[in-house]
Amino acid sequence: MSVDVVVNPDDLAEMVEQVWVAYLDPEGVSPLIPTGDDGQPSEVHSSVSITGSWTGHIVYASSTAAARKAAAAFLAITPDEVSPDDVSDVLGELANIVGGNVKAMLPPGAQLSLPQVILAPQSATRYPSAQRISGLYGVWDGEPVSISMWQSSHEVNKGGTA
Amino acid sequence: MKILIADDSRVMRQIVTRTLRQAGFGDHDLVEAADGQETLDKTITESPDLVISDWNMPEMTGVEVLRKLRSAGNEVKFGFVTSECTAEMQQQAEAAGAAFFIVKPFTAERFDEVFSPILG
Repeated sequence: MSVDVVVNPDDLAEMVEQVWVAYLDPEGVSPLIPTGDDGQPSEVHSSVSITGSWTGHIVYASSTAAARKAAAAFLAITPDEVSPDDVSDVLGELANIVGGNVKAMLPPGAQLSLPQVILAPQSATRYPSAQRISGLYGVWDGEPVSISMWQSSHEVNKGGTA
Repeated sequence: MKILIADDSRVMRQIVTRTLRQAGFGDHDLVEAADGQETLDKTITESPDLVISDWNMPEMTGVEVLRKLRSAGNEVKFGFVTSECTAEMQQQAEAAGAAFFIVKPFTAERFDEVFSPILG
């Protein structure tokens, strides 16, 4: 990592833990277990962009099974009852919640976009002017889940984050 | 009392509803809005006693809705439930006349703390 990242994996882990406790695992029986495997596969992903004092993307990626499980937990229903719209909505909200919390740790003057949801692997989306600078990679009930930060290459090349 | 829940995420509107119930406010009349314009329109047409609004929504942000309401003389109790919690946003919310600022992810305890003085 060549830049001084203002939000490190420990910060991401803390945010994610809050999301798990509040919505995905309120009983505390099924936490996200970090693996550190930044090459783990995904089947769906969502992202929000941040511009201003820091410019880049926050990406939430998981398997389809983990996304359905997340939607079921959010809605307090069973995974069988989850609709495709539910999955998209929850994926967008997960990126939004993590992105909003990341933004709160950045210098003032950052703007958060509305979320984008892609029901395809994270590798299907390219961030042509950004580099992955940080991430949390883990499994939830055996299913891959990751949250990563992608910083504008322009800022990376300047040697700073803000 | 009538409560308007405004969020572009249907799932989040359901979670706000569920959390209100968990916090003991389940017997109020709930209406929903899915973007900023609908929030503004329904605040006028439905005359809720309380508006619980997301910040970042299509058409108009939550704080823009609040500013429009206040500039039109509407003094409905209005506050935010948002994933964004910077000091500048909280200042903007307060300056616009917001009654509360709740950060996602939230708990029923947080709802109880914020809404008990408002909803009784």
